[in-house]
Amino acid sequence: MKTIKTGILVIGSGAAGLSASVYAAQYTHENILVIDKGAVGKSGSTVGAVQIASLGSWSHQDDHEEAFLQDIEKSGRGLSDPSLTKSIADDIRQRLKEITDWGLKLDKNEEQEVAVYETSGHSFSRSVSARKGKAGLGILQTLIRKANAMNHIDMWSDVITLQLVKSAGRIIGAVVLDQRTNEPYLIQSQAVILATGGIGQLYPITSNPVQSTGDGFSLSLQAGAQLIDMEQIQFYPVSMIAPQSIAGLCISFYHFSKLYNRDGERFMKRYQPDYLENTTRDQLSIAIGKEVAAGRETDHGGVWLDASEVIENVKRQFPHEYDLCKDRGIDLSKQHAEVGPAAHFMMGGVKINSNASSSIPRLFIAGETSGGLHGANRLGNNALSECLVFGARAGIEAARILEEETPVDHQSFADYELGWAKRLLTYIHQPHSSKSIKRRPYVIKEKIQSVLGNYVGVIRTKDGLCKAQQDLKEIQEQLFETRVANPDAYSRDILDFIEASHMLQTSLAIVRSAQMRTESRGAHYHVDYPEQEIDTYHTCIQVENENMKLSKKPVKGV
Amino acid sequence: MKKLLVNIQRSGDQQEVFEVEYQPGMTVLDVLERIYQKHDPSIAYRFSCRTGLCTTCMMMINGKPGLSCLKMASPDDGILHLAPLPKGETVKDLVKKM
Ligand SMILES: Cc1cc2nc3c(=O)[nH]c(=O)nc-3n(C[C@H](O)[C@H](O)[C@H](O)COP(=O)(O)OP(=O)(O)OC[C@H]3O[C@@H](n4cnc5c(N)ncnc54)[C@H](O)[C@@H]3O)c2cc1C
Ligand code: FES
Repeated sequence: MKTIKTGILVIGSGAAGLSASVYAAQYTHENILVIDKGAVGKSGSTVGAVQIASLGSWSHQDDHEEAFLQDIEKSGRGLSDPSLTKSIADDIRQRLKEITDWGLKLDKNEEQEVAVYETSGHSFSRSVSARKGKAGLGILQTLIRKANAMNHIDMWSDVITLQLVKSAGRIIGAVVLDQRTNEPYLIQSQAVILATGGIGQLYPITSNPVQSTGDGFSLSLQAGAQLIDMEQIQFYPVSMIAPQSIAGLCISFYHFSKLYNRDGERFMKRYQPDYLENTTRDQLSIAIGKEVAAGRETDHGGVWLDASEVIENVKRQFPHEYDLCKDRGIDLSKQHAEVGPAAHFMMGGVKINSNASSSIPRLFIAGETSGGLHGANRLGNNALSECLVFGARAGIEAARILEEETPVDHQSFADYELGWAKRLLTYIHQPHSSKSIKRRPYVIKEKIQSVLGNYVGVIRTKDGLCKAQQDLKEIQEQLFETRVANPDAYSRDILDFIEASHMLQTSLAIVRSAQMRTESRGAHYHVDYPEQEIDTYHTCIQVENENMKLSKKPVKGV
Repeated sequence: MKKLLVNIQRSGDQQEVFEVEYQPGMTVLDVLERIYQKHDPSIAYRFSCRTGLCTTCMMMINGKPGLSCLKMASPDDGILHLAPLPKGETVKDLVKKM
């Protein structure tokens, strides 16, 4: 296998990975290599993000770090890690200031001041945007420009990570596949920053891009890092579920629209008479999930959205969503839309400390792949803030290690543990007779989506989770019986095969965590355990000797 | 079931025509997904967000640059012609280097 050497390897080029790179680059002159399995800077969830929550010159006079931190902890329902909430509250003001200094232009209101928006759960208005409601895109473009201006950052598109490389208990690189040539590489580095985003594609309906297949969780698990609270998946409560071509599209104006079940009842009057649709994402998703489970669902398994009374507001604030629906035959000024929860954000993830360091030396995690900040319910617009703050922390700490600690001498580790990557590569490159095997890797992905959609959605049951575990085990056995029909360069079949392998690991971690949490808390609603327990604990998963080790860890001081 | 004729300019200046089962509401990207799954596993195209934001799915659609995730496919408009964008290096089929 060919070898590439770099100081820091950054995997993923969303807001978290790119922030990590540009901050690291300010603290070291060693080379930084950013890889992405899609097009760099254009392939993650960051692209779709609308607003970012931050303190700044626009903050209300009573708003401050402590208030921001308290809002996150309240929403996290006991599962937010105080060292992480403190980090984000302490740093966000400065990080946003820096990125605006680098060229990000925040959207202005009619008075030419920074426009600030309210977001449910934030006790003060803190959400700002850029590029006319495309804050994610604006942030990516600013960071790419900054990275391009630093000649020790290299960016490499269309390269997928198969396995992290561990030696003497540290992470010192990764095995990747260049999809353009089908050539595998061993990348040797002094530290790895993993920023591969979320898990939406594990579900049949998701707001996430096609690349969100949960690779980072599976890569970390395999490397021996600890994952926490993987059952805590945020479903965006109101997304389109039909027509298929826009299934998963988030409806940002649900909190001022009306929702009805198939009987024409405005059901939120029953669940949340005070807040109605303007409630937290977990509560609204669970209410819709319960209506569906009770058989009061629309033909495609959702509820009706009526935005006709507020349509002028919708057209003004969210023209992209309005136009897209209209283009697909749903004129929201006259028609109801079929909507329901879509897999949106992984709140659990790889456990980190306030330096974005995982439990394994030299492995850093930033953005959605990390766990512990948002606890059991993420407040809107805090994901981008998380990417900027922990991307920077990961980059700075990785650069510090590079500058201050004794470098890893890769030559002395002649024989890495590359078994898994080798197994994947061998399978990909062996001839696949089309007659004997019919099933292609994309079918495995669809099967996983169907299992998680059926049994690990908004509403969970003991039997359902047990069935999911069994089904996933069966699907796992089928992976190495699939037909990789196209062995050439830029093969989607090969990409699907590798992604399916990551999806299986990550799905199992989600199911096992959901089984461990024998209560209902935040986004995890368990029919057999509908109450929240008094004792608060994290669900933890780690792989040891190829087995998943499960444990519950009490939260201190709650 | 209506059929949709799709002519794709593939690598090596090859033109290939596919006859795809049309389903109402299909975008050009949905058509390519169907070709990948049911007709030819080797067809190469890029996409990410499916909502018109990332622009990675941009290609020549009937002679004009367009986003394949936004453009609706229609069996009544004759043959659907797809080609890579003319500028820049083509990695494979409809995929440009990024
Ligand atoms: C539609 C939508 C709207 C949203 N709106 C908001 C909002 O308004 N405000 C807010 O704060 N948050 C919002 N969020 C959430 C937020 O956008 C994301 O949580 C955040 O941007 C994630 O950033 P990231 O850098 O961690 O990952 P991503 O931006 O997802 O980037 C991950 C990158 O890693 C790459 N990658 C993955 N696996 C591999 C691998 N194995 N090898 C190599 N590369 C890999 C991917 O291709 C991708 O480019 C929204 C999310 C969505 C989907
Ligand atoms: S897939 Fe992103 S613009 Fe079409």
